[in-house]
Amino acid sequence: MLELHSLSKHFGGVRAVDDLSLTVNQGEIFGLIGPNGSGKSTTVNLICGVFPTTSGAVVFEGQDITDAASHRVVAAGIGRTFQNIRLFGDLTVWQNLWVAQNSVEERETGWFARWLGGQRRGRDYAGELLKFAGLADRANELARNLAFGEQRRLEMARALAARPKLLLLDEPAAGMNAEEVGQLATRIRALREHGMTILLVEHVMELVMGVTDRIAVLNFGQKIAEGAPAEIQSDPAVRTAYLGTADA
Amino acid sequence: MSDFWWDVIDPIQSVLDGVMFGSIYALIGIGFTLIFGVMHKINLAYAAASIGGAYASLAAFQLLSAPALVVFLCAAVASGVIGYAVYICCFRFIPEHLPLATLMASVGMLILIDEVVVHATAGMPEPYPAMFDDVMIDLEPFWVRGDLLMIFVLSVIAMMILLYILYRTRLGIATRAVAQQPAAAQLCGIGQQNTNAVTFIITGALGGLAGAMVGASVGILSPLLALPLTVKGLIVTVIGGLGSIPGAIVAGLLVGGFENVFQYFRGVTERDIYVMLLLFVFLTFRPQGLFGRMSTRD
Amino acid sequence: MDFYYGMAQLIGVHTLLGLSAYVVLLTGQVSMAQAGFFAIGAYLAGMLTVLAGWHIVPAMLLAAVASAFVATVVGFPALRVKGLMLVVATLAFGEAVRIFWFNFDYQIAKGNIQVGPLGGEGFKQIRYFPENGWSTADVALFIWAWVIAAMVALWWLDRSRVGSVLRAVGEDELAAQSVGINLTAVKVSAMTIGGFIAGLGGAIYAHYTTHIEHLNFGVILATFAIAYPILGGLSSVIGVLIAVIFIQGFLVEVLRFMGDWRNLLFGALIVLAMNVRPDGLFDARAMRTLRRLFGARDA
Ligand SMILES: Nc1ncnc2c1ncn2[C@@H]1O[C@H](COP(=O)(O)OP(=O)(O)O)[C@@H](O)[C@H]1O
Ligand SMILES: [Mg+2]
Repeated sequence: MLELHSLSKHFGGVRAVDDLSLTVNQGEIFGLIGPNGSGKSTTVNLICGVFPTTSGAVVFEGQDITDAASHRVVAAGIGRTFQNIRLFGDLTVWQNLWVAQNSVEERETGWFARWLGGQRRGRDYAGELLKFAGLADRANELARNLAFGEQRRLEMARALAARPKLLLLDEPAAGMNAEEVGQLATRIRALREHGMTILLVEHVMELVMGVTDRIAVLNFGQKIAEGAPAEIQSDPAVRTAYLGTADA
Repeated sequence: MSDFWWDVIDPIQSVLDGVMFGSIYALIGIGFTLIFGVMHKINLAYAAASIGGAYASLAAFQLLSAPALVVFLCAAVASGVIGYAVYICCFRFIPEHLPLATLMASVGMLILIDEVVVHATAGMPEPYPAMFDDVMIDLEPFWVRGDLLMIFVLSVIAMMILLYILYRTRLGIATRAVAQQPAAAQLCGIGQQNTNAVTFIITGALGGLAGAMVGASVGILSPLLALPLTVKGLIVTVIGGLGSIPGAIVAGLLVGGFENVFQYFRGVTERDIYVMLLLFVFLTFRPQGLFGRMSTRD
Repeated sequence: MDFYYGMAQLIGVHTLLGLSAYVVLLTGQVSMAQAGFFAIGAYLAGMLTVLAGWHIVPAMLLAAVASAFVATVVGFPALRVKGLMLVVATLAFGEAVRIFWFNFDYQIAKGNIQVGPLGGEGFKQIRYFPENGWSTADVALFIWAWVIAAMVALWWLDRSRVGSVLRAVGEDELAAQSVGINLTAVKVSAMTIGGFIAGLGGAIYAHYTTHIEHLNFGVILATFAIAYPILGGLSSVIGVLIAVIFIQGFLVEVLRFMGDWRNLLFGALIVLAMNVRPDGLFDARAMRTLRRLFGARDA
């Protein structure tokens, strides 16, 4: 479904992503892990067209989306969250979802209703997502007044509002406690049940090992291993890179 | 000499005069750029404060009949004080995350300073002392106006003093540290507030000198000078590259020469259109300015 | 009574100017070009009624469309620059427009006088209202019909999804793009709408003052344009109106007895206001309180 072909991004001398190739299959939960600064977020940003690639290609459902504008990537069916949450703090919770309603289905409704119509349709649509995110009772709160965990959930709901086929989650569990991580895992599995493909960029090991089907490991921008969670856990190269020592 | 030669002498002469006058724009540009570098904010009251300082120095001229050089120094001191006042009124207490509020406050300050000047002088232009305004240096086939040369030399001296402060003194190093890494500087015990205040005072003094130079070159001071000087200073800042001192210097001289040439060819009413066009050319083809870095980091 | 009508006219025109900057500011763009668009509207509408003999309404609309077109053209390069750079670029554009009119002559003979814009002398004798026998009250009503139409339209826009999208772009462009918003379209549209409203404002201004010159459209007017929405708190079009009434009505008219000291006080009050209420005089909290007073659902 998503293919990266020898993708590279250099910031000056820093090779943030270096000749990275990988394939995410339809319906899969794919994990992308690696130590801090190994280029995970940069990979997500390259897929989403945040900045231009140095070389290589991004192909989504057979369509070349290398260096496409961010909103076109969304239109193609890719949603994302940010590692350091980026909500619209001065908008209410439901309005955060409202602005993101750019799905293909939405596009078919009339221009006037979609942009200038009343709030009812937008609220109904947002309501379902908010229920899924456990934020139904917070709909009219300003986004910036939400607690940290709620903000993470809202950001995920916002990414879903455009009805993506592929969801890129950049460290969704960062800063969460064990209980919240458990809920997150449940939610991610539920999304897969609905037929969504997920690229999970993570640091928190339990989550990655628990929910992913396959994992790729990055170090200094390069892929050093790829395989099922069990294989990755026992891979000596990964242990060295990731934990610093071979026997940790 | 051939006819062609005569045709180019006058334009070259106007470039020469313009570049020397442009050193004033460079001073103003440095002020904008330095404050931007340290605070990532824009102080729209800056050029008005510079003119205000020059006006304050008139007291020394009119009451004490001080020599011109002393008057210029008084302008620098007065402007430094005004700069500190601007910092307190527009930057110190307004929350960091509300840049529009600081922008607006500095506009209010611009109007306030300008109006104080208007009221103190009943809106009439005042004569301002100059140095060497009766000297003409003959460099066949060109002339160098003594007062413009003096302006140029004084500006260059001021820039060198500034660079010395920034690169050779503790104070300057602290300032540059805050500009580059505010959080890290804080950890090293460099107070951001103090550094900001000092930056306003230093740039204020620089601006005061620029204001005095304007007065010296035109021969009079008028509150009407503040707005055009603000606009030119901002253009110089952008052309030079935000936050770049060498950029501001080069751009100041460039804009000075450029506008004077077009004044020669197209007259004073049209001249500024071409300066704007120069800016648009830069924004289109080199938006980071002459020496600015293109930042991709968000 | 004429005094009050005159003030209503002034407040109406400045409200249009403030509204034009409001739309653009919502997307996070500080545009100092609004005075330029205002000038284009003023000169073009004046030329249409005086030189071409048009009725005022089509003249205004065409002038506003022309302003909107120029704003669109400005909007594209403006996308490339942000923050301070945009302030300077739009400031320079506004000044360029002013200097353009400073150097623009186009006069024709009408009866025994020459009419039309004449460079530094300005454009005199834009006498559509007196020639057609409109009273001051008629003019004030006419102006306010436009103001109310613009306010209602923008209020509607603000409450619709477009409003949220504009604010989302203003708050975080990267996040907005990442949820599928087309930045170019949104920012350029905001500029276009702003240009249209500023053009309308300028068109009316030309006709009620009857004499315009380039000095009317300088940096100070551009500053007023953004001052209204910023002082108004950017939470609603009502804030703009309140700020205009505060500045033009209270400062300029009520403090008339202060004579020349008014401008000084104006500067000082802006500084004070931004220190005391950096979110604007009429911020989001005030807006919600007002809504509750009128029993509206909290949105
Ligand atoms: N916009 C940028 N400009 C310059 N360097 C960057 C930028 N973004 C990331 N980097 C660098 O690229 C490398 C990879 O960063 P990142 O992708 O954020 O890592 P991760 O998400 O795996 O922690 C780091 O060395 C980082 O400093
Ligand atoms: Mg990361």
